[in-house]
Amino acid sequence: MSAPRRLEVNEVWKSYGGDLYAVRDVSFVLEPGEFLTLLGPSGSGKTTTLMMIAGFETVSRGSIRIDGRDIADQSPEHRNFGIVFQGYALFPHMNVAENVAFPLRMKGMGKRERLIKAAEMLEKVGLEGFAQRRPHELSGGQQQRVALSRALVFDPDALLLDEPLGALDRKLREQLQIEIKELQKRIGISVLLVTHDQEEAMMMSDRIAVMADGGIVQMGTPADVYLHPATPFVAGFLGETNFLPGLCQGASEGYVSVKFRNGEIGRARPPRFGGVPATGDKALVSIRPERVRILKPGETMDSVIEGRVVSGTFLGRHARYIVEAEGQQVVVSTTEWSEATAVPPGTAVRLGWSSDDAQSLADVKV
Amino acid sequence: MALTENRPFPLGRMLLYAACAPILLLLVLPTLIIVPMALTKGQLIQFPPIWISIHSFTDYLADETWVSSTIVSFKISILAVVIGATAGSFAAIGLHKRDFPGRNIVAGLILAPIIIPGIVLALGDFLLLAPMHLIGSWTTIAILHALLVTPYVFISVQTSLTVGLSPTLIRSARSLGAGRLAVLRFVHWPAIRPGLLAGAVLGFAVSFDEVVLALFMQGSTTVTLPVRMFQAIEYDLTPKIMAAASLFIALALLGLTVQALTAKRARPA
Repeated sequence: MSAPRRLEVNEVWKSYGGDLYAVRDVSFVLEPGEFLTLLGPSGSGKTTTLMMIAGFETVSRGSIRIDGRDIADQSPEHRNFGIVFQGYALFPHMNVAENVAFPLRMKGMGKRERLIKAAEMLEKVGLEGFAQRRPHELSGGQQQRVALSRALVFDPDALLLDEPLGALDRKLREQLQIEIKELQKRIGISVLLVTHDQEEAMMMSDRIAVMADGGIVQMGTPADVYLHPATPFVAGFLGETNFLPGLCQGASEGYVSVKFRNGEIGRARPPRFGGVPATGDKALVSIRPERVRILKPGETMDSVIEGRVVSGTFLGRHARYIVEAEGQQVVVSTTEWSEATAVPPGTAVRLGWSSDDAQSLADVKV
Repeated sequence: MALTENRPFPLGRMLLYAACAPILLLLVLPTLIIVPMALTKGQLIQFPPIWISIHSFTDYLADETWVSSTIVSFKISILAVVIGATAGSFAAIGLHKRDFPGRNIVAGLILAPIIIPGIVLALGDFLLLAPMHLIGSWTTIAILHALLVTPYVFISVQTSLTVGLSPTLIRSARSLGAGRLAVLRFVHWPAIRPGLLAGAVLGFAVSFDEVVLALFMQGSTTVTLPVRMFQAIEYDLTPKIMAAASLFIALALLGLTVQALTAKRARPA
């Protein structure tokens, strides 16, 4: 296996004419062996970005480089990326072995040699007995593995995955996520994944680039983007969160103090970009439901607000309380739950969180 | 559904059969009497035939004018199918999932030869080609027949592409290193094959029994088989006509068999 290469996307723009940009000023580096995910809703430009890297879309502005070499002028067949498309795109008239051997055939490798390499690759994904089958005789998961083998067999510079698991049911999808991740580590290839599924992105990626309206809003490790989102969009797109609006009361010791609707003051991390808001500015704080606690009597935390329990629901893995506080509903998720300790609706409670778990957001249009 | 089928005498179905049977008979009967009439002992076409002799077939094969007409017909139809299949396939591929101003006009022009009345087409071609001294050559007829074959191949290949070709498949092949020619060979060709075959069989049938163009374009050495039959009906009513007609039936059956067999093979398990 040849060493993976460094893929650099540099200030790339895509326009289909006029002032409408499908992709605006996207830059990132896919380091050798890294798993990077472009995560965003449809229309966020993630697939267009992937297609520009693959060579199926032209780049309007900016550059795409492999180990420093600009590949913008190369046609897709001369670039060296293994791509797995949505819906697999296996050749229906070829059997599994011929499908996997196809890229080697295109490179001019002899029949014996390429079938041996294809068989080795199929063994790595656990499909050794399926070489003679036709694609339509395989299950969705098996077809996915064939597509993956075909994209990896020719030592590509990087693996590009375009919503590769979208057509599969949840259980199989989770199983394949683990398999792909494991295969990626074993082979040591760089992977660029495009998906709209935030759980898939968190589960598989080393880093996530969250995209919206054609640009990257925030890039970081799954834990970083989840716990410390930069904008309301990122906070809301990656799972459930509580948005608490208020006014900035100043900053100290690396945190901002926010005065909420009821006059209570909570502390949070300062926004990821745009600077610390000035005193009196509008602020919006995001806190994940599992990071807010219902405090026991006498217990205290960095930030405490008062509220009243509206409802409590036991959901198995966790329990979920809705608490009326600061003139809105705050969701609290906890794993500490038993029939005896459940807080009944109507109870006055104090909610608390650690300042590091609350994130003040930038780009707030309140 | 299952209930209706299990009933001993479903009235609706009986009525349907009763209505269809005479129509089916009317369609098939003329074809069914051809072969018996070819087996007559007599020297003229007659019904009922005088049983039984194969002299009409041996006479047909011994008659140089009939044999040369048969050969000319085959040459014309084969060349017409080769040209028409190529043009029709590439036209279908070229227009597949493309949108440009005038696309429908291009598609309309391709289909025009089978929409325009044959006699109008023949007359127009005659007036155009006569001054150029192109009448009487078998290649002229073949090229004109190719115009008729092209739409049939175009339509059936278009259907095959809609069913069997996705843009992702092309992208996938290209990402795996396939250049334009390799994409044509490994993605387009397998996708169009069933439609191409069906269109070619139909196109051959259309060309082989085409009379109007062949009549206008005929020369002393280029009288196609259907034109020869047409003229023989007028002059001598020889049973060779029935022998030739039997050949048409045999070819049609062969074409249908080939299509049935390949359609069965192409169907996924």
